[in-house]
Amino acid sequence: MPAPLDGHDLNPLLQDPGLVIHPPMLYMGYVGMSVAFAFAIAALITGRLDSAWSRWSRPWTVIAWSFLTLGIGLGSWWAYYELGWGGWWFWDPVENASLMPWLVSTALIHSLMVTEKRGGFKAWTVLLAIAAFSLSLLGTFLVRSGVLTSVHAFASDPTRGVFVLCFLAVVVGSSLTLFAWRAPQVTLGGSMGLLSRETFLLLNSVLLSVATAAVLLGTLYPLVIDALNLGKLSVGPPYFNLVFAPLMVPLLFILIPGTVAKWRSASLPDMVNHLKWIAIFSVVLGACLPFLLGEWSIGAFIGWTLGLWVGLGTLQHIFERALKPGRIGGSFWGMQFAHLGLAIVVMGVTGVKSFEVEKDVKMSVGDEVTIAPYVFKLNDITEVTGPNYKAFQAQIDVVKSGEIIEQLKPEKRRYLSSAMPMTEAAISTNLWRDLYVSLGDPLPGDLHQWSMRVYYKPFVPWLWVGVLIMVLGGVLAAFDRRYRRVSSSGPLQTVAQAVSSLNAQAPSLKDQFFSDQVGNSAHNLSTVQDQNPDITSEHNSSLNENSSPNLNSSGAH
Amino acid sequence: MKKFLIPLVLFGVLVLFLAVGLKRDPHEIPSPLINKAAPDFSLQTLTGTAPFSPQDLKGKVWMLNVWATWCVSCREEHPVLVAFSKQIGVPIVGLSYKEIQPQDDPEKKLSPEALLKLARSRGSVWLERHGNPYTLSVMDLDGRVGIDYGVYGVPETYIIDKNGVIRYKQIGPVTPQTLSETIIPIIKGLENS
Amino acid sequence: MSPLFLIQKLKINGVQNFLWASVLLLLALGTCSTSSLAKEAEPLASDEVVEARLVHIAEELRCLVCQNESLSSSRADLAEDLRAQVREQIIKGKTDQEIKDYLVERYGDFVLYRPAVKPMTWLLWFGPFACLLIALGVLLIAIKRRNEKIQVKEFTSDQSHDVGQWVHMQEQKADQFINATETHTKKLKD
Repeated sequence: MPAPLDGHDLNPLLQDPGLVIHPPMLYMGYVGMSVAFAFAIAALITGRLDSAWSRWSRPWTVIAWSFLTLGIGLGSWWAYYELGWGGWWFWDPVENASLMPWLVSTALIHSLMVTEKRGGFKAWTVLLAIAAFSLSLLGTFLVRSGVLTSVHAFASDPTRGVFVLCFLAVVVGSSLTLFAWRAPQVTLGGSMGLLSRETFLLLNSVLLSVATAAVLLGTLYPLVIDALNLGKLSVGPPYFNLVFAPLMVPLLFILIPGTVAKWRSASLPDMVNHLKWIAIFSVVLGACLPFLLGEWSIGAFIGWTLGLWVGLGTLQHIFERALKPGRIGGSFWGMQFAHLGLAIVVMGVTGVKSFEVEKDVKMSVGDEVTIAPYVFKLNDITEVTGPNYKAFQAQIDVVKSGEIIEQLKPEKRRYLSSAMPMTEAAISTNLWRDLYVSLGDPLPGDLHQWSMRVYYKPFVPWLWVGVLIMVLGGVLAAFDRRYRRVSSSGPLQTVAQAVSSLNAQAPSLKDQFFSDQVGNSAHNLSTVQDQNPDITSEHNSSLNENSSPNLNSSGAH
Repeated sequence: MKKFLIPLVLFGVLVLFLAVGLKRDPHEIPSPLINKAAPDFSLQTLTGTAPFSPQDLKGKVWMLNVWATWCVSCREEHPVLVAFSKQIGVPIVGLSYKEIQPQDDPEKKLSPEALLKLARSRGSVWLERHGNPYTLSVMDLDGRVGIDYGVYGVPETYIIDKNGVIRYKQIGPVTPQTLSETIIPIIKGLENS
Repeated sequence: MSPLFLIQKLKINGVQNFLWASVLLLLALGTCSTSSLAKEAEPLASDEVVEARLVHIAEELRCLVCQNESLSSSRADLAEDLRAQVREQIIKGKTDQEIKDYLVERYGDFVLYRPAVKPMTWLLWFGPFACLLIALGVLLIAIKRRNEKIQVKEFTSDQSHDVGQWVHMQEQKADQFINATETHTKKLKD
């Protein structure tokens, strides 16, 4: 068969700027994970899992994480406005392949905090670094080899699959072997109470890792069952939604206590006292909002409460910090923005899932559809010609309180080279809701009717805004001043580091010999610092934030 | 410290499964009807006047081949089937699956009789041109019988034994290789039992 | 003109009556706002309750042709046929489970996006929860154990220093800290 004169054209679904930028962002994320991986492997090989390693892994991981967040967000946003059914996440194997490194790298960022601050759980952090990169490679394999059916399986080639699998086996296999060999020799770091910031951060690790394992299990289960000759089954959105959401609930809950808990040993009464108003507000608002916005459901209640809990808790934290003297670093802003962004995403997801309205109608010119308080009026359907397509375009007036607020023009396109029909939905958007109209097919009969789908989607824009805020948080954290300072060690800092590691490693010794003297001089210094915030802010922050190196880095443990 | 070997072991198991998975086709859906009774039906045939039902072939080993004139892969498979029908004495019943497509009658104006007539004439012309391996062909215009048989693509072929039990389903076109390696041995086995 | 006169006049001329009545009616309607003339679009489905149930069931079923879409959103020919079948069965009064069984009988477990809970899928359904419990347990034990180890470690020597030397080193560093902070404090006070 001769090729068409203009060639086969790019798949119409891909002819979109939103789609062009989504893969490069994802790839920056996947490849960025190799930095943390390289640091981890180097540290394992040399046996030097010290503060330098944990300190410098973090900004690189955060940068990769930011790109991954942006890439996933863009993919979801594109699917939402382009595919015409208003959905944005389908638990497709390739979507899962991008979500898993994201979950693990989030856990890694938080675990690195524990390692950096208290020198603890190094082996676990290293394992997370290896896992993040391994999952990136696994994702490549799953998408390109053809072992799983996926919308993204554009060029499945089992031969290429063999090569990628070998590559995966060698890279990950050798790194895990190295891990098994070196991990037993890793130092322990400081002790931590059962209720402490470290424990909260590690709970974060546990929950995110179990979530990752669940997603991996669901994605690969059909393959496992088939490989065992037990038949073919499918694992789809019902499974993932049922399993993933309950794991996110405790994660969102512990987020706020985690940010206020003290290192080493936190006091439960203090924390409860600190957070009680936020808790009450969140629960009350979370219970009332579903009534006001639509139908009450337990899912809406939990979602709103948790979103408000994280959001209000973050705002409270920012407010409290702003009242204290001293410069606020990029790390702090990064953390707050990332958490705030997450809260907004959670509220967006809850809002749209609980309160969206969909109407599937048949319309002829002059008809209207009402989703209170909006009325959608079909004015006309005309034929238009694009650069490589012909389309039927509907002109729809969106009316609110008698006034036309917007005109929407959904299209049903037929691309010339592929004869593939495609819906180009029209969306009216503002900060609070989307109005989404999708033109269907002409219906048989004399009434010249067309099938039309009209959606009212409240809070959907919060999804995209929330993701952008999270990415901003990542950028702010990665570019914190301490990573850009050429040299941060002066005599005071070195000594301060020594004493904090002394605190970490031998608290009872310190208590025995030095508590009063050390405590008094530290107290005197801090009093004077408080009285002179501008002079001492730099030293203050470096004293508070600097990592504690392994005291006996020259000796082996 | 043995616990640090756990990640490596788990990964090894994963790689094994992935390696096996490379050899499987995730798109293929095996039929749950294997070793179950072939669903009954009564459909008009391509040329005759009396309807056909699987009961009519009880006591014989036979094949049911799902085809359509709009199916591109069927044209690849057809010569193989024609040659096979001449060589082996097993009746091949064709199932003309959804011969009338939505674009043939967009306004839904044609009557069932008119649709059947159109499907029959199209089918006959096509078989004349490409050869006719079928003892007879039944017309499944709305695809309901196809659904009962778990048809999800065209072409597909079933081997049904003397007791009316489905013993094998071929997904996709029949090739000389599948004929010699799988289908003929199965038929021989069923005929001898 | 008096109304009675009008009515009398209208009664006399038959066809003219009708025409005038129509004109009057149209005029009357024309003065109302246009929105009352515009028709509210009818739902695409003939029975919305049935359709809602269809969507609910079809969302958990997999399209066998596209294989990456649910039965409710797929536009494939077979998907249309299967949706029609499901609709028929809903109208007949079958339960959700009966309809799913009907499809599984013909297409196997592949067609279900929510895998059935049976021994073959126990690992799938209960695995994550079990994993969570195990992980929490491991975390708890790990924290407890390492706290114990650290207590012991404080007084155990490492390879290059003995306890006395190590303690001496700590003392020196603490002294340095005390000196440094006091110097710094003095500097600030001046």
